[in-house]
Amino acid sequence: MISLTATRTSPSGIRQWRVLTMRLIAPTLRNGEVAVGVAVTVAVTVSLYIPLNRLMDGPDLKMSSYAQFLVPLIVLQAISFASISTAFRAATDSVQGINRRFQSLPIPLLMPLAARITASFYRCALGLVVALACGYVIGFRFHRGSVCAAAFCLLALFAGLALALLGDTLGTKSRDPAATAQWLLLPQLIFGFLSVGIQPLQRFPDWLQPIVQNQPISRLVDALRALAGDSGDGVAPVTWSVIAPALAWVVGIMALTLPWTFVVYRRRV
Amino acid sequence: MAVLADATLGAKGHSPKPLRDLLSETVVLTWRLLLGSARTPMTLVHGVLLPASFLLTLKVVFGDSITTLTGQNSLYRSVALVALISAMAGSSTGMVGINTERHGGFLARLWALPIHRAAGLLARVGAETVRLLFTTLVILGAGLVLGFRFHRGVGGALLWVAVPVIFGVAFAALATAVALYWPKAVMVEATQPVIVLGATFCTGFVPLDMYPDWVQPVVGNQPMSLAVDAMRGLSVGGPVWSPMMGCLLWCAAIFLVCLWPIIVGYRRASTS
Repeated sequence: MISLTATRTSPSGIRQWRVLTMRLIAPTLRNGEVAVGVAVTVAVTVSLYIPLNRLMDGPDLKMSSYAQFLVPLIVLQAISFASISTAFRAATDSVQGINRRFQSLPIPLLMPLAARITASFYRCALGLVVALACGYVIGFRFHRGSVCAAAFCLLALFAGLALALLGDTLGTKSRDPAATAQWLLLPQLIFGFLSVGIQPLQRFPDWLQPIVQNQPISRLVDALRALAGDSGDGVAPVTWSVIAPALAWVVGIMALTLPWTFVVYRRRV
Repeated sequence: MAVLADATLGAKGHSPKPLRDLLSETVVLTWRLLLGSARTPMTLVHGVLLPASFLLTLKVVFGDSITTLTGQNSLYRSVALVALISAMAGSSTGMVGINTERHGGFLARLWALPIHRAAGLLARVGAETVRLLFTTLVILGAGLVLGFRFHRGVGGALLWVAVPVIFGVAFAALATAVALYWPKAVMVEATQPVIVLGATFCTGFVPLDMYPDWVQPVVGNQPMSLAVDAMRGLSVGGPVWSPMMGCLLWCAAIFLVCLWPIIVGYRRASTS
């Protein structure tokens, strides 16, 4: 096997990565993935903001508008939809046997994963842009300068990376595209609704408040909200005590997922 | 399968009792579909687990705000809403089934058997009705655990259960019509935004006057809101007649509009 491949010029890793990434990104305009991604984010914005605006608005919001309050959650929802698409693609690749074919080719073990993560990054970026555009329409603005706005986007994409890794591993393991995508909706729904992204902490039942306050989506929402700022002064300043828990969750999820990813990928299918 | 074989043997040549044969063939095919969905764990996830979690989430997150606002337990809205969502979500999984059978050649095989042309479609309606009844009762059970009660007697309760079933059959007709003409895998994902928008722009989610003024006429008159309003009237009390009529009109209209395309599309799917 080795002698056979050694007689040919083996393509560089970068080129393999580019080819495998383009394989995933190139068809997204044609197969409707981009359209569905845009539609889903617009639908999330519309279906959360319009019904809840009057219900949620109140002095205990401590912010200038519900739009400013809600957009971090919309951004995170868009990003987790991107990771669900990644899981769907990973499960499709896994069940259709292309992973097995890659394993028989002179490709580094994790190259297909790297390519799918890159493609997921592209989906996350797309989701982020659409979510911010939707936010702009309903009245969301960045109030703390361009550095904080850039940090907002970076933190969102970093969270997207962790979710993509998790989604890819789950999808590769499960080998069932439809089921994986459906199953992942459940945590997305629960973590999204039971977070401070949708209403202030004190409006949740007392017994649930510790969980709501400390779960990853709430922590990320707090950090994103601080980075976006507000026209009033109801939002916490950008300090480590706000940003660190969010980063810790993201790093923690990655640290827990990566070893599992190795196990799943090394298994001969 | 044995029954199917008997039925086909019995139908050799022109059967003297076509209607009785249609009935027995429909029963066999309905049973086949029901067994299939009972053996697919995803049916359980779609029909029961997702909606029940959603009901619990609605109760925990918005329950107190809405109960304070309206002076009426929010469950009378959300249990009805979740029963409708569960009906719709189940149909969108079901319509993938018809495409799988089309590509797997099963529809063509049925077409080649001497059974009534209508049996395949009638069986789908039958299986759908049973599934809808099952998921509605499960959601109702979850609601009863949380504190939902019927205040208008057994008649009200029976009608309450009938609303999601009728609504679900109409939605399933729509979903089947779309699936027969747009046989793509992306289909299920495309229906999700429709369900989400329908559910959130519905009086079962938030009371009508909480919506912006310009969207209130749409929210108040869309089929899901009418169904929820009728179900709220049937459980806790309130107007029933006019939302019920509105809901039934919507369902009948959707069903009738989709009927002919389904018949034509099913024939095409079975013969091409």
